[in-house]
Amino acid sequence: MTERFSSLSLSRRHLLITTSALAAAALVAMADITPAQSAGGPPNGGDITFLIDSLGSTWIPNNSSISSFQGHVWGHVADKLVYVDADGKVSPWIAESWEQSSDATQFTLHLKKGVTFSDGTALDASAVVANLDIWYAGRKNEGINPVGLFPKTYERAEAVDATTVKVFFKAPTLGFIPTLGYHGSILISPKTIAQPATQQADLSKTAGSGPYVVVSWKEGDFVKLVKRKDYNWGPAAVGHTGPAYLDSITYKIVSEPSLRVAAVQSGQADVAYSPSPQELKSLKDAGFTTATPRYLGFVNGLAINTKLEPYNDLKVRQALQAGIDRKEIIDTVYTPDWKLATSFIQSNVPGATDHSDLLAYNPGKAEKLLDEAGWTKGAGGIRAKDGKQLTLTLYSNPYLATAKSIDELIAQQLGKIGWKVTIRAYDVVTFGEKVRFGGPTVPAYEVTRSFIDAGTVASILTDANNGENWFNLGDSDKRLNELRDRIAGAASTEIRDPLLDQLQTYVLEQGYFIPRTQIVQRIYVQSPRLKGEVYNGIAYASYYTATKGE
Amino acid sequence: MSHAYLAYAAKRLAQAFVVILLAYVLTFVVVSILPGDPITNVLRDPQNGFTEDEIKAIIAAQGLDQPIPVQLWTSLSHFVIGDLGLSMRSNRPVATLIAEVLPSTLILASAAFAIALLLAVTIAYGTQFVPKRLGQGLLRGFPSLFLSVPNFVIGLVLIHVFGFQLGLFRVIAPNSFWATFFAAVALGIPVSARIAEVLIANLDKESEQEYAAVARGRGLTEMRLFAKHLLKPSSLPVVTVIALAIGELLGGSLITETVFGRTGIGSLVQRSVSTQDLPVLQAVVSLAAVVFVLVNLIADLVYPLLDPRISLIGGRRVRPTAADDSAAATPAAVTS
Repeated sequence: MTERFSSLSLSRRHLLITTSALAAAALVAMADITPAQSAGGPPNGGDITFLIDSLGSTWIPNNSSISSFQGHVWGHVADKLVYVDADGKVSPWIAESWEQSSDATQFTLHLKKGVTFSDGTALDASAVVANLDIWYAGRKNEGINPVGLFPKTYERAEAVDATTVKVFFKAPTLGFIPTLGYHGSILISPKTIAQPATQQADLSKTAGSGPYVVVSWKEGDFVKLVKRKDYNWGPAAVGHTGPAYLDSITYKIVSEPSLRVAAVQSGQADVAYSPSPQELKSLKDAGFTTATPRYLGFVNGLAINTKLEPYNDLKVRQALQAGIDRKEIIDTVYTPDWKLATSFIQSNVPGATDHSDLLAYNPGKAEKLLDEAGWTKGAGGIRAKDGKQLTLTLYSNPYLATAKSIDELIAQQLGKIGWKVTIRAYDVVTFGEKVRFGGPTVPAYEVTRSFIDAGTVASILTDANNGENWFNLGDSDKRLNELRDRIAGAASTEIRDPLLDQLQTYVLEQGYFIPRTQIVQRIYVQSPRLKGEVYNGIAYASYYTATKGE
Repeated sequence: MSHAYLAYAAKRLAQAFVVILLAYVLTFVVVSILPGDPITNVLRDPQNGFTEDEIKAIIAAQGLDQPIPVQLWTSLSHFVIGDLGLSMRSNRPVATLIAEVLPSTLILASAAFAIALLLAVTIAYGTQFVPKRLGQGLLRGFPSLFLSVPNFVIGLVLIHVFGFQLGLFRVIAPNSFWATFFAAVALGIPVSARIAEVLIANLDKESEQEYAAVARGRGLTEMRLFAKHLLKPSSLPVVTVIALAIGELLGGSLITETVFGRTGIGSLVQRSVSTQDLPVLQAVVSLAAVVFVLVNLIADLVYPLLDPRISLIGGRRVRPTAADDSAAATPAAVTS
């Protein structure tokens, strides 16, 4: 306001300055160059503000790297050994090349030379070994967790020379290389890793090798990153390897979603994270850029507790599979940017196969299956058997904003074929406490989960090797166990892919997993002035390659 | 300073100490018996890959396997020497977390308090001297209106009008002057209502006193009468309301800070509740209790010094009764 008032009261000196500035601007415009574009490449410079709902609760790298919120910051502060794009394609990054043994139990990584962390430490073989060790084991007694989904078969790693690392596994681990591009696998300086947890929690004391460094931060408020001018080792897959174009990125917490979007609309910020899907069309029509990238992972769906009645009955599970109209979910809750589920893993995951036929909406088939299972319609259209009603409790996943709306729609759809559906919505903490895979009162656990390699899928479905036992089957399903072990032991994708196809068919046919839609968990709205961002396999936006125009 | 006053002050100090101690114990017990287990809730997340033995070891390392009274004693003995422990979620010292956000909340609360006071005095003055045909009734309705509109609604309206429509401040710079001003307005409005209510009631009573009639009869303007004679006696009970308003400012800051995207004690509480960060919650609630008790203690200690009609008997504050109140000669303030 002050500037506005002073410009209104023009003095002669103001007039002179203003006229000179206008003349200079006109000259530059006539010459058709700007200082930022003088090199002929994309324009350098510019600062952007990214509004986000939260920035998590700890900055210990191992504990926060897989957070949906902090992952954005880590993606700019730290590099990874390989780059995984939105289609799951793996390409070199800090690891220039790699080899694996024929049984996929030993891997040799060849590192780029001359890479350094922002504290000056070399990103060499010993630094990679330190990172691999802490990803696998964490330091649990200090509260530093292992990185989720890092292969449990890891045995050890050794630095052969400054740029060569040899990694050993107790069993074939085909998913190792893709996992190095997972958002948990961020390379942090060994000096940071050696610090106690309380020091690691201070973001300003953490050094990565990424294109940006943390210049200031305040817990629960913001993180400001500025570019590293000496950065010269970006992933070739994004088409740029030198320093970032934008000078700074500020991640600022604004917890109210409408304020985030309004701030972008009014030009006060450049990107708003997690707007409502229903707003996307009008924002797009108004000229804003919207992005709904899909991450590599499971689709959004229900993992069924097969120990709980009546879901211990195959026919009831199959009726559930046929009784959900997935297209109506997209038409009602989402926009055409969302895709129908074709399996229980997202269709962009390498190894995912199309099983749309098993997921077709067929209420007639569902009713027939329920009749065969002995569930007959009674008063009010609710089915019952032996005096017990056919019930289903859905616990809406608090990590997905649209979860409750989808549950309500599913309740209507299943209600038509005789199900009595109850919906429970808890906050994140209560959900984490009360709702678990196979919990005694949880017939269906709503899954939202990313992963980078389909090889890790089979291992978490049962309880073997500390698996998550999604369907409460334990080790009881011999076919599932066999597929799990054969997938885990596969030494090549040629061997593994047909097995993955069989696994997908089996899980869907058995009604163990009831897909709803392919998931878009990260939604972005951004100013049309900001261009050139890249979305990786975990659907994080990277502004390393982005530029900001006038 | 009289003996009676010193005895009164010593008694109030002792009471304040006991109240702070009880507040700490009560908070600890309530936080401990809250449903849910924040430690194992995180540790048992299958993605973390902890075994049951490891979980037990971590719980033991943090002393959380001890009986509640032992944990309480350990916690209290640390609290007394200013050691607030480590945040269960961020792994950073709780004292650091509080120190980072406290200045922002103090600025917001002070600004809100000043705005509340100004607004309350303005409304109260208006109710006395604005003619009925020019909206005196409307002014009398303001406190009820202010109390009935939640401050997050006021905040959102202010942000949309002054932030987005008029561009007076940016939501991404919540500590700028105008952003702080409007956050303070949102926080101060409900507080002003309580102060205005008490002030209006007292002004109504004072303006009917004979001394006010005499002053008017001597040709004193309404403005001078208000400023020189009515405001002081009417304001004494406001000291008590102000002490209570501190609690409201602390509670209200939780919502206002969240809406305006400010970091402060309120947003720290909000985060620690949503993540069940018990050490932070325990520390903030206890410190809030300390502040609340201290402010009320100061109000209690200042009151006898401000109001000469209050006598101290045996360390107790005794108000004049209707029988011995020489209301005809001195202003009779409402003291409760």
